[in-house]
Amino acid sequence: MATTEWNRRHILSLEDFTAAEYDIILQTAASFREVLTRRTRKVPTLQGRLITNMFFEPSTRTRSSFELAAKRLSADVLNFAPGTSSLTKGETILDTAKTYLAMGTDMMVVRHQQSGVPQTIAWELDRLGAQVGVLNAGDGLHAHPSQALLDLFTIAQHFDPDAPRTALLAGKKIAIVGDIVHSRVARSNLWSLTACGADVHLAAPPTLVSKPFADAFASESGSLSVHWQLEPALENADIVMTLRLQKERMSSNLLPSLREYHQQFGITRDRLALCQPHARIMHPGPVNRGVELSSEVMDDARISLVQTQVTSGVAVRMALLYLMGGGKSVA
Amino acid sequence: MTSELLQQVRAIDPASGADRTADVWIENGTVRAIEPTFATADGELPAGTIIRDVRGCVLAPGLTDLYSHSGEPGDDSVETLASLQAAAAAGGFTRVAILPDTDPCLDRPEVIATVRDRAEGGATRLLIWGALTSSRGGDRLSEMTELAAAGVVGLSDGAPIEDLLLLRRQLEYAQPLGLPLAIWPYSTRLTGGGTAREGVDSLRFGLVGDPAMSETALLAAAIECVAELGVPVHFMRVSTARGVELIDRAKQQGLDITASTAWTHLLLSTRGLRRYDPNFRLAPPLGTPRDRDALIDAVQSGTIDAIAIDHRPIAYEDKTVAFAEAPPGTIGLELALPLLWQEFVEPGRWSPLELWRALSLSPARCLGHEPPRLQAEAPAELVLFEPNRTWTVSPETLKSRSCNTPWLGRQIAGRVVQTYRHGL
Repeated sequence: MATTEWNRRHILSLEDFTAAEYDIILQTAASFREVLTRRTRKVPTLQGRLITNMFFEPSTRTRSSFELAAKRLSADVLNFAPGTSSLTKGETILDTAKTYLAMGTDMMVVRHQQSGVPQTIAWELDRLGAQVGVLNAGDGLHAHPSQALLDLFTIAQHFDPDAPRTALLAGKKIAIVGDIVHSRVARSNLWSLTACGADVHLAAPPTLVSKPFADAFASESGSLSVHWQLEPALENADIVMTLRLQKERMSSNLLPSLREYHQQFGITRDRLALCQPHARIMHPGPVNRGVELSSEVMDDARISLVQTQVTSGVAVRMALLYLMGGGKSVA
Repeated sequence: MTSELLQQVRAIDPASGADRTADVWIENGTVRAIEPTFATADGELPAGTIIRDVRGCVLAPGLTDLYSHSGEPGDDSVETLASLQAAAAAGGFTRVAILPDTDPCLDRPEVIATVRDRAEGGATRLLIWGALTSSRGGDRLSEMTELAAAGVVGLSDGAPIEDLLLLRRQLEYAQPLGLPLAIWPYSTRLTGGGTAREGVDSLRFGLVGDPAMSETALLAAAIECVAELGVPVHFMRVSTARGVELIDRAKQQGLDITASTAWTHLLLSTRGLRRYDPNFRLAPPLGTPRDRDALIDAVQSGTIDAIAIDHRPIAYEDKTVAFAEAPPGTIGLELALPLLWQEFVEPGRWSPLELWRALSLSPARCLGHEPPRLQAEAPAELVLFEPNRTWTVSPETLKSRSCNTPWLGRQIAGRVVQTYRHGL
């Protein structure tokens, strides 16, 4: 099914990914999912390679997932954390990247609280002629490609566990509910889901999703609409993706209260009745119980895919590191 | 005694609308004659006259920059007054006005005098904006009468004044001084922490949007102040399509206002933010493509009177950070003329006269100055510009001490060959 070769050194944004590339990722991730069920959950694919996790923005979950993925591929892993670095002493982000380049890093996994930093590092490394791949592990409000790809994998394997593929998403109604304007996860999901032909519906109060979103992320293959009420987005939805709501949103007057948010946009069992009978709920974590999701929905394994997302995360990140590392066929 | 004949130069004078190929004779700092062809054989020229064939070059009045930033006093490492003046001259500017945001800031006569002394003998005439508020603090009036007596070119903080009562008091109090007042209509509070003009690009690139109303709400309020008091005001850094509309309407109502936009906002838009180059981080932020188009049309129509350079030198280590964390600003004195010429004059969108009006004639008038002219018997305050000469933007080719520009390392066309600055 995958007819093209993988030829990206970096994964920075999904904006220009093709359906064929998504299919390569889904197929590769499915193979690694199988590896992770073996007795020895490890392959020697990236033995001797050095992967540096550069998490300028603190993260435990995503960093652990990347670290585990790298270790399952037998790569060596360095972890950079700004608390212990010289960033405060006038060293620029590019100086930091060059330091790890000089140590022989093959791939950098970069997270930063500001949009654009992984791109800046990747372009500087290209300019220097370095053969180093950069994987964006989340930059500001801009992108979180590995999260969107694990979401895509989770959805595709939900529809066909044996052969997860992009074609399964065509025409599926996917609702994304929550703090969309501040979400890099939502932005990356918009590129991937619409490219795979899904019918995407955004729902949030106007302060958290503006109408121009539909133009900003318009796609030829899928469709995208913006709603300021929950119901039209949920109606007959196949998948409901919820997003984490940060508490700061109240202090900047984007919302009056968490209570009102939950009343209007919280996903409860009652509201799920509007969706398709087989509908599933997703969330990138960590969940504010009783805000984005009721506990009842979150803990119901028949409805919630939240734990599957975490498991998929390792397989998908293994696939990405493997493909960036030049892998052609799966071990 | 100097005497020079520039043969077959494209001679441009926006004040008279002249744009023709001619021979121009300059003697002892005065333009002596402009003729279609000047007979050199019949002994009319003094002995020792240098005759230069400058076919393909443009000779025109020197440019005036309405506002830029110096490092000195305070931060000589990014720019001294001398390097700023040299950069200005290299870019065709015979007059450059600096904003008061130095350290110490330019809010007292003795500081103005010191800066003026230090700039004496520099490559370009340096003009000084005195602060509108004490210490540029944005809360108390500066001693404007003393600053006026010290010879400031006008009064401006170069920073937003968001307190509308203070703005009103400034306009009221400054009336007898007869000096230009330059106001930047911008509300830092309404930006909501945004770093990119709000629109599809800010959404797509994940940059917090700064809505156009951070400019237009304050602009509309300031226009109301002007309407009530009848005091002339110059609006700096107009950057939005809606801002252009407000200026246009106010001018049609006969209000005594002038306006400028920064050269960068004519060349770049939010589209270019895709690369997150910190050199694109400006204040106000770059406009959307629609804003940019409106600014380009407004400069051509004269709704926006002048193009300002707003040259702001920043050290490499301060600018090599994430886009949103970068201090806003870019250098421009040496780049604006060539890049604007290539973008607008070369393809025929603007005439050379329109560009020169916006960079020379109108900015001088916004300052209440007699603009330099290219005409017989006028002092030779001129620039000789070669539009097709290419050069590479680098620390070695720039006179500025800083290189914070998106064009660093790129080859561009258009270079000032010489500036004449008689009487400055």
